Amino acid sequence: MTHAAAAHSAHDDTHGHPPTSTGLDNKKIAIWAFIGSECMLFASLISTYLIYKGRSVVGPYPHEACLPPGCSTPLKAILNIPVTSASTFVLLMSSLAMVLALAAVETKDQPKTTTGEKILGSSKLWLWMTAILGTTFLGFQAFEFTSFVHEGLTIRTNLFGSSFFTLTGFHGAHVTAGVLWLLTLLAIDYRRGLGPKDAINVDLAALYWHFVDVVWIAIFTLVYLIK
Amino acid sequence: MPVPPRLRRLTTAALPVLAAVALTACNNAAYPNSIFHNHTEFNREVGTLFKILIYLGTAVFIFVEGLLLYVLFRYRRRSESDRPEHVHGNTTLEILWTAIPALILAFIAVPTVRTIFSTQAKARGDALQVEVIGHQWWWEFRYPQYKVTTADELYLPVGRTVNFSLKTQDVLHSFWVPQLGGKRDLITNHTNFLWFTPDSIGVAALNGMCVEYCGASHANMRFKTFTVTPAEFEQWAAHQASPAAYGAIAPAAPAGAAPATGAAPAATPAVATADTTKRGASVSAAPGAPAQVAADTGAAAATVQQAGYVSYPREKLPAWTIPKTPTPAGLTFNTALVGNADRGLKLLSTGQGGCVGCHMIAGNPVMMGVIGPNLTHVASRTTIAAGLYPNDAKHLALWIKNARMMKPGVIMPTLGKGQYDPVTKAVVPMGLTDEQIADIVAYLQALK
Amino acid sequence: MATTAAAPAIPATDSYVGTSGVWSWLTTVDHKRIGTLYLFTSLFFFLLGGLEAGMIRWQLAVPNNHVLSAEAYNQMFTMHGTTMVFLAIMPLSAAFFNYLIPLQIGARDVAFPRLNAFSYWVFLFGGIFMNASWFVGAAPNGGWFGYAPLTTLQFSPGLNIDFWVLGLQILGVSSLAAAFNFITTIINMRAPGMNLMRMPMFTWNAFVVQFLLILAFPVITIALVFLQFDRFFGTNFYTIAAGADPLLWQHLFWIFGHPEVYILVLPAFGLTSEIIPTFSRKPIFGYPVMAYATMLIAFLGFGVWAHHMFAVGMGPIADTVFGVTTMLIAIPTGVKIFNWVFTMWGGSLQFTTAMKFAIALVALFTIGGISGVMHASPPADLQQTDTYFIVAHFHYVLFGGSMMGIFGGIYYYYPKMTGRMLSEKLGNWHFWLMFIGMNLTFFPMHFSGLYGMPRRIYTYDAGQGWERFNLTSSIGTAVLFIGLLIFVYNFLIAGRRGAIAGNDPWGAGTLEWSIPSPPPEYNFARIPRVTSRLPLWDVKTPTLNAEVPHTDRGDRRLDVDVGTKHTGHSHPNPANSYPQQATESGMHIEEATGKSAKDLGIPMPNQTIKPLICAAGLTIMFTGLLFIHEDKHSLAIATILTGALIMTMSLYAWVLTPLEDHH
Repeated sequence: MTHAAAAHSAHDDTHGHPPTSTGLDNKKIAIWAFIGSECMLFASLISTYLIYKGRSVVGPYPHEACLPPGCSTPLKAILNIPVTSASTFVLLMSSLAMVLALAAVETKDQPKTTTGEKILGSSKLWLWMTAILGTTFLGFQAFEFTSFVHEGLTIRTNLFGSSFFTLTGFHGAHVTAGVLWLLTLLAIDYRRGLGPKDAINVDLAALYWHFVDVVWIAIFTLVYLIK
Repeated sequence: MPVPPRLRRLTTAALPVLAAVALTACNNAAYPNSIFHNHTEFNREVGTLFKILIYLGTAVFIFVEGLLLYVLFRYRRRSESDRPEHVHGNTTLEILWTAIPALILAFIAVPTVRTIFSTQAKARGDALQVEVIGHQWWWEFRYPQYKVTTADELYLPVGRTVNFSLKTQDVLHSFWVPQLGGKRDLITNHTNFLWFTPDSIGVAALNGMCVEYCGASHANMRFKTFTVTPAEFEQWAAHQASPAAYGAIAPAAPAGAAPATGAAPAATPAVATADTTKRGASVSAAPGAPAQVAADTGAAAATVQQAGYVSYPREKLPAWTIPKTPTPAGLTFNTALVGNADRGLKLLSTGQGGCVGCHMIAGNPVMMGVIGPNLTHVASRTTIAAGLYPNDAKHLALWIKNARMMKPGVIMPTLGKGQYDPVTKAVVPMGLTDEQIADIVAYLQALK
Repeated sequence: MATTAAAPAIPATDSYVGTSGVWSWLTTVDHKRIGTLYLFTSLFFFLLGGLEAGMIRWQLAVPNNHVLSAEAYNQMFTMHGTTMVFLAIMPLSAAFFNYLIPLQIGARDVAFPRLNAFSYWVFLFGGIFMNASWFVGAAPNGGWFGYAPLTTLQFSPGLNIDFWVLGLQILGVSSLAAAFNFITTIINMRAPGMNLMRMPMFTWNAFVVQFLLILAFPVITIALVFLQFDRFFGTNFYTIAAGADPLLWQHLFWIFGHPEVYILVLPAFGLTSEIIPTFSRKPIFGYPVMAYATMLIAFLGFGVWAHHMFAVGMGPIADTVFGVTTMLIAIPTGVKIFNWVFTMWGGSLQFTTAMKFAIALVALFTIGGISGVMHASPPADLQQTDTYFIVAHFHYVLFGGSMMGIFGGIYYYYPKMTGRMLSEKLGNWHFWLMFIGMNLTFFPMHFSGLYGMPRRIYTYDAGQGWERFNLTSSIGTAVLFIGLLIFVYNFLIAGRRGAIAGNDPWGAGTLEWSIPSPPPEYNFARIPRVTSRLPLWDVKTPTLNAEVPHTDRGDRRLDVDVGTKHTGHSHPNPANSYPQQATESGMHIEEATGKSAKDLGIPMPNQTIKPLICAAGLTIMFTGLLFIHEDKHSLAIATILTGALIMTMSLYAWVLTPLEDHH
């Protein structure tokens, strides 16, 4: 489906140009290259977090509580796994919404009869849903960061604080960029409506969004779940 | 067939190269830091490996460049209508020049791996332990088995394995004595190890240096290594462990070292005297230095407890271990001044100049600083400022007067009154006068 | 159409510079113009880096010299390394990527012309930003490798390292954007029949380099982000007191840094692989093996980073692993050397200046490769690392390899870019002075290194056995400079006085020579249909192309048959998917017609200033950070926000404007 859409849009946008060698839209190739590059970015961040795990000279620590006499002030394990599980679920659901948004854009031209079809076919609804779920995830992250600061962990406190906030902060920045991208698509949708010819652009946003989601799964597993 | 001019020019260009290759066999004096002089089991292993690499490398070099030159000559265009046959490849040849290099590399890899494991094995248990601590830009050497702390001069007994534990106080440095052992980095929040046995060198003075870029004065972070006989080493260490040789306040429990050193061979005071005279002579002979600061050190020397082997005899120092760094233009010292060690001691003990903040002189209860080099036996060293200047009255005085002009970036402040401090970019209003500096120098020179 | 090139009927320089003036250059999205901008800018930075090298050699000519202070010297060698790597060799390669990739694969532009312009402007601003540090007296002084913790605020409190960190971040954006662009271009914009195994060797090398770029640059980006956060926001990534591990920086830096070496040298290999066949009148020997060797070098290049760290005490296992992988890289590299030599074997060698430089690459890179194997052996490396032996080694790789290849490329492609020939007479002088000067400069460094001279020292004492070698090196540098000046003169005057080049002055075989020099804005009036690796030779000298398959079956397996010249069944855009031109667009030669894209009805992207504005916004944003250390926080925040706003708005304006008018 995406293949056909990409080929179609390639014809549409680049009238008079020869077809591409792979039949795929240029942007599709570029986004995959970009995602490959981003993998190295997050791999470096996650490796750094893992290397510095357990090396902080002062607390708070991610998993282990620290009580006197080890610590002058008692510190509890700081990562809140139940809350983060909820935010992870929210982000996963946003990926689902993104899939539906893309499908809705691709099938815009097909007639919709039932209410179910109309709901599934509403690109605005699913784009909004994705953006809202993404924003909710960011809200969870803001809550988490605030509570950490209240418990005495800032980006300057120790190696854990520096590597944790930088890693999750970078991820959060990527989610923010994704939300802005979705909002831009929504603005276009409201102005002139997104149709199958725009599928490639929604597809790019979707690929990016899923990638950011997958990165979060890795972070959640390696940072939160593994002690 | 006449040799084409280009080929001839290439050959001419290659000649100096070959001449230079021939130089590798040159002697110690010409190339004092050469890696080709291997005086430890560590370096001999590395040297053998390196020789394999050089021979194979040279063979490959000659083969490839020879082949290239042959091809250039043989297949040069002879006529504009040359139309060579289009050959796209040859599988046999291509397999051959994949396999042969692989084989050559296997010849290198096997001894490499063997050497890696033998040189990185654990050091012998009875090894001499030396802690090397890097500072911007000087070296601290500690001998925990002998309770010795010194700076910039490393004494090693011949024939005994020495195990270095390498740390740094600030940024990264790297420890290297080319003739004894390959480098090992000094890494923050890490302790590195390196061991070797100086077994085939005898008594010698060698250069060492920092080889990891560490800031402004990276080039000026040098040290000396003296390999001495085991007996000399024991005497040296005992002396270094003893309190300062001049003006020391006897500690509550006097170190056993002092009486032991009292029984030193009768010959050593003579050496020390010769040493002093020689130094005096050399300073007097220096242009613009008509008089001798250390006139008073004669008196001071009387109180020095001669401690057997105190330091590597200066008259035996090879030329390449004596620094020739020029002193900065515009920085002068009135060398006619006669210092008094007693006055110098008092100056330091009352905190003048701020030396107490950084330097340690064992036996002087005020001098307890740990930031700068330990000065307990500073006069026994041959150089100051991490091998940058010879340790004599003139350079010591200039150093105290304006260390920051003598060595870029150095932490030691500019102390001379009215001197321009290149770091703060201001003139020092209050500070030591030349007379005071001469007194301090006299005191320091008494710290044998 | 297939006639040999005659002198163009119209002035050569008019054929693609449809509009002229400064504005047309600021708004250009033409890959050829952007390539030209890259070439001029990076040559300027090359001269600047050369001057820095000259200062270094002046200072080191004699012991205890006082030409430079310790601080000035440290800035000089840091900026020499940084400039040569990031502002000279990489963008010089980028100049060729830009100019040649579309021409070699038969495309009319790169995949994203505006992104391409953006890459250039970011590079230019990044270079200016980095060098602006000289004017505030705070040029970077931590070495091009910037080892922590020396580069942390505690030990480097000035703006020096800030300029370095931020400058590299800016330049990283440029390299990454360009790499995404070229990957897409090569994958997606090849002419019909131009399957991967028919791509010219230069495009192959460029292709591999782009993958190195996108995989290596994020790693240094993160290493720099950590340093940046440490310096500006007080994080602890490299803070000693917090228990940080300085090896984190080293690992991250060299995971980037070693692939970077191949990023620097593979494009030059590519140029050499174009030059040698042309002037041997023979196709490259072992084309598939050359392509695989390039890929293998790149792949192994990611597994050898720790060979820069043998002295840090990683333990025997790590030393063994990294030592052996490093030696393995020598194998594909050796294969390349032999393939070049055997391309010349049996050929008819014409020693043009380009060819001389290409041969010099083969000869000199061999030396760098051999010394490379010497320090692949960890115990032996302990005696060599951080001495001038290493300096000699990598200058044989980067000057003897990269720069010789690039100079060869300039002599070879200058006629294509300008329509005029560089003087061969001056070129001969340039080559010999540079060849002799280069060897005189760097060969003695092997000896000063083996005789114990450490790197990065601003001065050294007399009597250490180093004087002779250092003086020779410094004299060599002077010779190099004379050669360089001759080149600059030649480069500047040939644009006006050089002989007219015509389509194909060298008798080469690849697509870029089938079109006029300089090429028209649309490159190819008709997209050619490619049926072999050397399509132009097929047209020009069909009888001479002996149809020798590489092996009986080897190439057939890849669906590339040199012998029968079929298009390749699996190729997704066979010529017949392009019906209106398929019948007539076989391999052909295009004469200069002076017709514009408009005349021919070829859609071209519109010129736009937006990429430049966006790049400026990005640079302003990074500049704002500098004020933090000047304790001007409100100014810093204002500048950062202004920059971000400019960047975002121009980005939106750019993305929402179509690339070209609808027809």
